[in-house]
Amino acid sequence: MQPSQEFSKAEKFWMNFKLYQLWRFVVLNLKILAAVYQSKRS
Amino acid sequence: MAKVVVIGAGFAGHTAALYLGSRLGKKHEITVISNRDVFGYVPSWVWVGIGHMKPEQTIFKLKPVYDKMHVKFVHAAAKEIHPDEGDQYVLGEEVGSGKEVRLDYDYLVVAPGPLLNFAGTPGLGPENGFTHSICSLPHAIKARDAYLALCERMKKGEQVKIVIGTGHPGATCQGAAFEYIVNIHKDLVKKGLRDKADILWLSNEPAVGDFGVNGVQIKRNGHVMRSEEFLTSVFNDHGIRYQVQSGVTKIEEGKIHWQNYEGEEGTTDFDFSMLIPQFKGQPFKYIGKDGEDISAKMVNPAGFVLVDGKYGLPYPELAQTPDAWPARYQNPTYKNVFAAGIAFAPPGPISKPFTNKNNLLIAPAPPRTGMVSGVIGRVVALNIADLIEKGEMTHSEPMTEMVAACIASMGDSLWDGNAVTIVMHPVVPDRKKFTNEFGRDLFTSHLEMGVSGAWMKFMLHHTFIWKFKALPGWKIIPE
Ligand SMILES: Cc1cc2nc3c(=O)[nH]c(=O)nc-3n(C[C@H](O)[C@H](O)[C@H](O)COP(=O)(O)OP(=O)(O)OC[C@H]3O[C@@H](n4cnc5c(N)ncnc54)[C@H](O)[C@@H]3O)c2cc1C
Repeated sequence: MQPSQEFSKAEKFWMNFKLYQLWRFVVLNLKILAAVYQSKRS
Repeated sequence: MAKVVVIGAGFAGHTAALYLGSRLGKKHEITVISNRDVFGYVPSWVWVGIGHMKPEQTIFKLKPVYDKMHVKFVHAAAKEIHPDEGDQYVLGEEVGSGKEVRLDYDYLVVAPGPLLNFAGTPGLGPENGFTHSICSLPHAIKARDAYLALCERMKKGEQVKIVIGTGHPGATCQGAAFEYIVNIHKDLVKKGLRDKADILWLSNEPAVGDFGVNGVQIKRNGHVMRSEEFLTSVFNDHGIRYQVQSGVTKIEEGKIHWQNYEGEEGTTDFDFSMLIPQFKGQPFKYIGKDGEDISAKMVNPAGFVLVDGKYGLPYPELAQTPDAWPARYQNPTYKNVFAAGIAFAPPGPISKPFTNKNNLLIAPAPPRTGMVSGVIGRVVALNIADLIEKGEMTHSEPMTEMVAACIASMGDSLWDGNAVTIVMHPVVPDRKKFTNEFGRDLFTSHLEMGVSGAWMKFMLHHTFIWKFKALPGWKIIPE
């Protein structure tokens, strides 16, 4: 019932690598803003 | 001069009040009636519940904000709504004095959030039961005290069992419970106590990561990744056990009774448990001009306000009918009554419901998150302003078009904190517009874990409190 899925070492590295995370932070904000303005019919 | 009354000052009602005040406040009478005189930033109650944030950091007084926005504030609990033409008013009871207050209206926004229906599950809840909740600030404080006491027991070497999830087969708000469980994990790791706790996720979702929205799906490196795989990895990585497809039916001291999809009945022991109750609409009385009960015209059987949705469609048809979701949140009988946030009646579930062989319906209700509630508050406010100024509405936004972002933090440190960031667009799948099997935009939808999520969570806490205080530039911060 509980599959043995786990994050790999590489994935964990990127999760904590601050420079990469700064980039992801920017991407995430842009995505949210894009989606908000795309969805705003009013 | 038109009179607009808003019931409730949470994400939906407060957002509506700010927009109404800013557009109409100087010329018309805008009144908010709320049973609390503070705004509560609910998402941060997760941190209150583990002792990482002081309760007072999550609230601020409403009156000074409303004074600035030309909105009248009445500190009272609404109890009756009289919507018949000619004599339309809300009756409430002033907090403290118990005096009756009457507020006449031309337009009404009903936004009092959910009734936390602990009574729907015998033994559930912090008041008359054995489990905890983080759905109100007093509950989060009580949960924090119980959790910290549990940590003391662990420090003395005791092994404990922690169960977090949903406390009713039809509960919603799994995201908040998920955030709480991962925060507890992280906190115990930091305290060096993680090996003393067995932690279980117990939920009514059809699958891990469903969150009552049929899961979240994204496209990464050309392949589709689902929240089920992702969240399973999170749980496995953190050593959190999980049990989904389970409806909690009863709680006894230290024991949770549940039934699953197969109809099996079982129990789970616990030392500390936080389970989200079923949400219902606030139990207002809806009274017609001859004193008769007109609830059937205003609310569904669960007490949520009927709006411009198509109700009664069976799930397979609803899943293919994006137009069934309301866009203006206007009551079909009383056109000057609107409902915003958790208060409006959704046309049905987003996730697939399941009835087991014992006839128990296990079906997460659709979440109306903070972002969704805020957007609805804005749409309703702008339409009321339109009606007053131009005589017709120009705004609409169904959940089949809305985006929602959820950041489930794991610890609050900006250096080694972490968070799962979930963005879904739209919240309710639109299989006509997005022709993939999920009915969502797989490019803007987002699912990721990392320290950037912790930054995002921190930023959201501060920018939203800024917005809700109506500080300069509040309107440009999206809901
Ligand atoms: C712990 C937790 C964490 C969450 N985290 C997130 C998150 O990270 N992101 C997200 O998008 N959503 C999150 N949510 C969901 C979000 O908080 C809700 O969707 C949102 O609060 C709903 O807004 P609302 O205005 O409908 O209701 P509420 O925020 O509950 O506001 C209702 C208001 O009405 C008042 N009221 C109640 N009864 C009466 C009455 N009779 N008369 C007058 N006033 C009354 C209440 O006091 C309250 O102020 C979380 C929820 C919880 C519980």
